[in-house]
Amino acid sequence: MFLRSISGTLALLIWIALSSPPAIAQSPSRPGLPRDLQSIVDAKVLRVAITRFDLPSFHVRGADGTLLGPEIEMAQQIGRALGVKVEFLDNAASFDAVVDFIAEGRADIGISKLSQTYNRLMRVRFSEPYVTLRHALLFDRRAIARAAGGHPPAAELQRYKGRLSVIAGSAYVDFAHRNFPNATVVEARDWDTAIASLLGGQVDAVYRDEFEIRRVLKNKPSLNVQLGSAVIVDQKALLSIAICDTCSKLQEFINYHIGVTRGAFTLNELLNSQLGKQVQ
Amino acid sequence: MKAATIFGIDNSLKALSRSINRPVITLTAIVLALVLGAMRLPFVQYLRPVGDFYVALLQICVLPFLLATIPLAVRSAMASGSAPGVIRSLIFWVLITVVAVAAVSAIIPSLFFRYSSPDERMVANIGALLGRSADTVDVEFAIDARHVPENKSASDFGIFALIPTNVFASLSSNDSVRVLVFAAIFGIGMVLTERNSGHSIFDALRHIQAVCVLIFDWFSLLVPIGIVTLVAPQVALLGPDAFKALTLFAYPFFIAGALLLLAGPIICAFALRASPFHVFGVWLKPLMLAASTRNSLICVPLALETLKNDLKVKEEPCDLYLPIGIATIRFGTILYFVIATLFVGILMGRQFNLHDLALLAVFSVGASFATIGVSGLAALAPMAIVLRPFGLSYEVAVPLMIIIDPLADMLRTMLNVGLNGMVAVLAAARSVVPTSTGRVPDS
Repeated sequence: MFLRSISGTLALLIWIALSSPPAIAQSPSRPGLPRDLQSIVDAKVLRVAITRFDLPSFHVRGADGTLLGPEIEMAQQIGRALGVKVEFLDNAASFDAVVDFIAEGRADIGISKLSQTYNRLMRVRFSEPYVTLRHALLFDRRAIARAAGGHPPAAELQRYKGRLSVIAGSAYVDFAHRNFPNATVVEARDWDTAIASLLGGQVDAVYRDEFEIRRVLKNKPSLNVQLGSAVIVDQKALLSIAICDTCSKLQEFINYHIGVTRGAFTLNELLNSQLGKQVQ
Repeated sequence: MKAATIFGIDNSLKALSRSINRPVITLTAIVLALVLGAMRLPFVQYLRPVGDFYVALLQICVLPFLLATIPLAVRSAMASGSAPGVIRSLIFWVLITVVAVAAVSAIIPSLFFRYSSPDERMVANIGALLGRSADTVDVEFAIDARHVPENKSASDFGIFALIPTNVFASLSSNDSVRVLVFAAIFGIGMVLTERNSGHSIFDALRHIQAVCVLIFDWFSLLVPIGIVTLVAPQVALLGPDAFKALTLFAYPFFIAGALLLLAGPIICAFALRASPFHVFGVWLKPLMLAASTRNSLICVPLALETLKNDLKVKEEPCDLYLPIGIATIRFGTILYFVIATLFVGILMGRQFNLHDLALLAVFSVGASFATIGVSGLAALAPMAIVLRPFGLSYEVAVPLMIIIDPLADMLRTMLNVGLNGMVAVLAAARSVVPTSTGRVPDS
């Protein structure tokens, strides 16, 4: 009888342990608390995940390693509004890794020029977009003109069948498969590698947003002769802050902040930003 | 007494006009305009409104002049029975001239590009120009075809652009090409109805033509001012940096253009058995009007007057051909398209063999017809017809051509006027009215 009651208690404890709410199970740093606005205020720290590589015009590391840029400023503004300090976790190896940080509870929010995608939305929440950029391609003019066979390049690009480079672990992997189903998608380690593969003729086009495409040509105008730019007018990258899946109140708070500071990011301001002048 | 006074004033004005438009004054005005433009002084841009005012004055009578001149020319040709012969002769010389221009356009730049190619620095400078001038993306498209902007209707392009469905709309919108087509068709109709009924308004048209010529005479007093105020701001638009970066296009274009412009008066002089210097001096006036206004049709009255009065070329082929020829046969555009394509080709590393050059010439002639009815930068659009079959980027060519267009458009218009004038002279060569000395008299 005693053994039965012991084994019953153990079974109950095991069942309780196994059936704990997923948000708590995914919060190794502060177990037992739902991660939302109040828990952040109580902890007096907002943990912000960012990529370990710079995103010129959005966030970069200064000469002394200080993080700079409008995304950093935005995170600090949110922290100030919450009355907590901001801790940047800047070792995410890719854009998807930033989302992983949030999904796994290692950070409260992620801000690194993140586009909303179906896959990401299944794991985290997103704020309202703080900037919306159109999708764009940078292409080898001769290769596309050859493939177009006398037709305008737009006709060829619309049903592109060649090799298309995107950054591995970025939203553009999904976008490329969805929007260019006939293309061979080549995942490059980073943006510089993608551009190098275009210049080296390994691919005929690279796919990202209008800002990045125009920044390449702006920073190195001589490439205008070899490379052309194309904007996809009906495809938009909604750049938003990734927020933990259970943080509805935090999402509301951030949306309000974005609402009152709307207009802080415009394409031309980003292109003309001193933080965007690094040449690829 | 009153009539004598009026005729006296008219003759004095004509004499003054001839005095002001002497070659030496025209050349001085050109040199002054080029120097002022090259110096890029800020006040040069203030001259532009004066030039625009001058162009507006010249446009006053262009359409009435064309409406009167073409039916009169049609009547003259049909009445004399010489129309088939004149038309055959005109077609022959148009074809010969088109072939010659296409050949010169292909050969001279090919030779030039054989010995000079763009170095890295030049490509970098051109890229910088592209980046500066095309501060937007090259291409826009939609994944979902429903988002693609609708194309213009077929009636905006090709042969439809020539049909005057509403001549009053064409007149009010200054659509000269449709007005020309209307005038030609209407002229034929007028001759046929005149034969049946005996009634006509040709005398009235002749009076309208004379009035227009008189008004053009008044405005030609201002030609030197027009040259300075129109050419200087155009030259000033093109900075030395831009010109330096585009020398690879500019040199063959201006060399080939200058050769063709010089060849015109020499061939005319040979056909007219006149001094080349005299022909060149007389022909300089419409050429400079073309360069300054960059509007071929504005030059039609002055070109006709120069051919008929100063060079004594027979009226019929001139009246019949020159307005229609200037509006439709665009020799300058053929040269421009060929050289622009070769230039973009060398920039993007494409070689052209003889077969390519022949095709290029044919495509350029075809594309030049697609520019009928359009002027300025819009006339660059048909260049896509020439570039794309060779795998060359229209999106690279257009921003570069826009940069150099202030000067290139001047030469294009001069070639259109100059070579069409030459065609009229060649077609009418046997009908020259010789003087007692067998030479065309000096003006």
